[in-house]
Amino acid sequence: MELFKKYPKLFQWIFLLIVFFALCFAIDVPETYKFIRGQAEFVKDPNQSTFVFLGKEVRYYAFDVFWRLPPLLGWLPIWINDSLFFLMNDWMPMEFWNEDTQEYKTRPLVLQITRNLTAFMTFLIELIREILLGGLETIVAFTSWDWIDANPWAELPGLPWTIVAAGSAILAYKLGGRGLAIFAGLAMTYISIFGQWKPSMQTLSFILVAAPLSFIFGLSLGIAAFKSKRVEKALYPILLVMQTMPQYAVLVPALVLFGVGDHAAVIITMIVAVPPMILLTLLGLRAVPPEVIEAGRMSGCNNWQLMFKVLIPTARRDILIGVNQVIMVCFSMAVISAFIGAKGLGFNLLLALNQLNIGLALEAGLCISLIAILLDKMSLAWANKQVDYFGNLNFFQRNKNSLFFGLIMIVGIALAYFGSIYFKGGYNYLFEVPHNKGISTADFWNKGVDWIFDTFFVYIKAFNTWLIVEVLQPMRALYLRMPAIATIVLVVGAGYLIGGTRSALVVCGLTLFIALSPWWDRALVTTYMATFGVIVSCIIGFTVGTLCFQNKYSTKFMLNVCDIFQTFPSFVYLIPVMMLFGITDTSVLIAVIVYATIPATRYTIEGLRSVPSGLHDAATMSGVTKFQRLFKIEFPLAFPHMMLGLNQTIVFALFMVIIGAFIGTEDLGQYILKALSDKKGAGIGLTLGICVAFIGLIFDNLIRTWVDKRKKHLGID
Amino acid sequence: MENYKSNFKELPEPIKQFGGLIGIMVIIFITFFILNKMFGEGDELVAKMKIEEERIAQERKLNKLISSLPSGILVSFDGTDHFRLSDELYEAVCKATKLIPQRAIMGANFLNFRAHEIYTINGNKIDETFVKWDKEKNKCFAGFVVSGNNVGVDETISVSGEALSFLSTGIDTRVYFIKNF
Repeated sequence: MELFKKYPKLFQWIFLLIVFFALCFAIDVPETYKFIRGQAEFVKDPNQSTFVFLGKEVRYYAFDVFWRLPPLLGWLPIWINDSLFFLMNDWMPMEFWNEDTQEYKTRPLVLQITRNLTAFMTFLIELIREILLGGLETIVAFTSWDWIDANPWAELPGLPWTIVAAGSAILAYKLGGRGLAIFAGLAMTYISIFGQWKPSMQTLSFILVAAPLSFIFGLSLGIAAFKSKRVEKALYPILLVMQTMPQYAVLVPALVLFGVGDHAAVIITMIVAVPPMILLTLLGLRAVPPEVIEAGRMSGCNNWQLMFKVLIPTARRDILIGVNQVIMVCFSMAVISAFIGAKGLGFNLLLALNQLNIGLALEAGLCISLIAILLDKMSLAWANKQVDYFGNLNFFQRNKNSLFFGLIMIVGIALAYFGSIYFKGGYNYLFEVPHNKGISTADFWNKGVDWIFDTFFVYIKAFNTWLIVEVLQPMRALYLRMPAIATIVLVVGAGYLIGGTRSALVVCGLTLFIALSPWWDRALVTTYMATFGVIVSCIIGFTVGTLCFQNKYSTKFMLNVCDIFQTFPSFVYLIPVMMLFGITDTSVLIAVIVYATIPATRYTIEGLRSVPSGLHDAATMSGVTKFQRLFKIEFPLAFPHMMLGLNQTIVFALFMVIIGAFIGTEDLGQYILKALSDKKGAGIGLTLGICVAFIGLIFDNLIRTWVDKRKKHLGID
Repeated sequence: MENYKSNFKELPEPIKQFGGLIGIMVIIFITFFILNKMFGEGDELVAKMKIEEERIAQERKLNKLISSLPSGILVSFDGTDHFRLSDELYEAVCKATKLIPQRAIMGANFLNFRAHEIYTINGNKIDETFVKWDKEKNKCFAGFVVSGNNVGVDETISVSGEALSFLSTGIDTRVYFIKNF
């Protein structure tokens, strides 16, 4: 009894675990359980039972409910599909004037709106693409082909690569100084001479449309949420789900609404990129000190002036970090949206991965990463740049960058003209190095992959077999062996012990949504893969982070490494692992581990850094050893922060597991991928995406609640 | 009641929390119990699915057997050059066969004028077909039902007879000849 009084929580946890394991052992696996797969794939079987809800017939295997809950939400994907079909084909048909056929045509309203929206997006993409690469579509949009024939001077080519490369170097110099300028120049030159100019510019044109639009929408919604509690409350659940929703899942319904191509990719990218912008705008505006607002009001600002002259300039840094996040999301979407026909580096990367041409994939991946790092550094430099309001500069000092750019335009055009004479009859390399005509290292890398396989095949295979047979399969079996009631008791019990009744209800709702969908088993497989990745990532991340924290140079170095790794689009991680481990579960898990180790390491270092230096001094004065200080002071205080890292690690791991479906896993991701090629996949894709998001949110809720309580307990709130 | 309430309030926090945990578990158990009553079929489903599993296994076995048979006509009697089925094979092929092609139907209809008439008037439509093994007679029977309108009268005629030969395509087997006389 004394022990119970001393450690009540411990006993409650033990009791919960005992009940959980007792349920696991008490409930047997039904002998014909393997049939469950048919339910997830909507296969018809005479042994299935049926129920009808909202006019939709749901088929399911009526197993013992304690083992697996019936898919009572099985109607949801069918309902979403039918609703989308109704919206796109039957709802509110109206007469619209068709410019091409010069007559009125009846079309449903939503279809007309989406088609107009996609036409607008296509126009914007074409406009930027034609500035960078040349073309006539935009000019024709305002004139006609006859006009072009009559005015051949209008057939202007795109910008020569030399101008774009030099222009980006100047911009980088203006924002971040010499180092960034050199990096920008080298990166652009690399992209050009390696023959990736055209796909890179295609990707860039897509990002240059998606990022500004996401910024405008994100900023507007962020301001609206800051101004109105109602808007904030309405946005909050959407933002929460979107943060953990795999980007894949958004593709499927968007495909139905907006079709295939760059325009659809831009819209989807916006859907994914707007939430972080809203959050960071809100964060920035909230962090504005009340004194600043007061000063603004005292100066006689009206609401508009207060927002745009006081609040936004004060929150500039957070808002620009939001821009940075938008750009990063755009890059990760550049690859994913290639699934629905977006052109550019992402498409080339996907194609190369599909053909198992690791060399080509590596080249495309490297180019995406280089542009991503460059834009990341530039946007961060912009965020950190202080505007000099008091500098007394002359005309040249104020406009030197524009003047330099003008000069470079002249030199670039001259060079391109010289190239057209020098390379007459061939490719003008001073204008554009055509795709596949530049230097290529693909063969070198492909031979390298072959060499790795030839030399280390035995060891790699042995490792693969050991990992799959001894670790992964038993772990997978354990997860699938959990009866539904045991899992729900464990999750809801954990919610109750961590955050009380409210938390228990939230996690119960989220878990039930997954359990009542037709994909509970696939969700368990996703969770098992993510759990494995998270455990290994945390071990590596916490160890590396703690070791690096011991020295300020290694800390800085590791944070830089994390920065760079975080900029790589998630798909890029699949390339090296496929090089080493081929198409196996091991590849996916190693990609998960590498990707998820970044937040684990970063948050460990940040957490340890957040421990007040006064406490360090106090500990040293008390004569504790370095080891004691680490374990008795630093770790306990940094632990809440490290747990936030765990939270991020889980989200990263889940994202990567879903992307891993591309090289073959048997989890929710695989079904999302299947939904992409299914005519009726929109509802399935969206519901699956919500399931993944809810897995993330369950952990998010538990961890955040625990962290908040712990912080309060430690007095570091 | 008030007493119980105040007694509960006076309980130490860990005990109250423990009680809450047990309460939550009880609620979950009751909910699952109710859902099981409504949706769970338990052993019945397992029994049904076991039968299904056996059927699939049997079908696989038969498919394997069919793929081992020579392509062409398989007969259950002597006196032809075609492949002669042993008694066991005859039974197995009968059980594996599901299709009755038009040739066999037309052949059987040839001896049943009314069936032939309904069949041709209604655009060669067949309602249902069956191939089954008669355990008592140790013979394979095949048949079909033709129905339709014959000069203003709705008629349904069932034609059946002994399936004496089969056609093996290498992928499946079909009834080749129905002896309905």
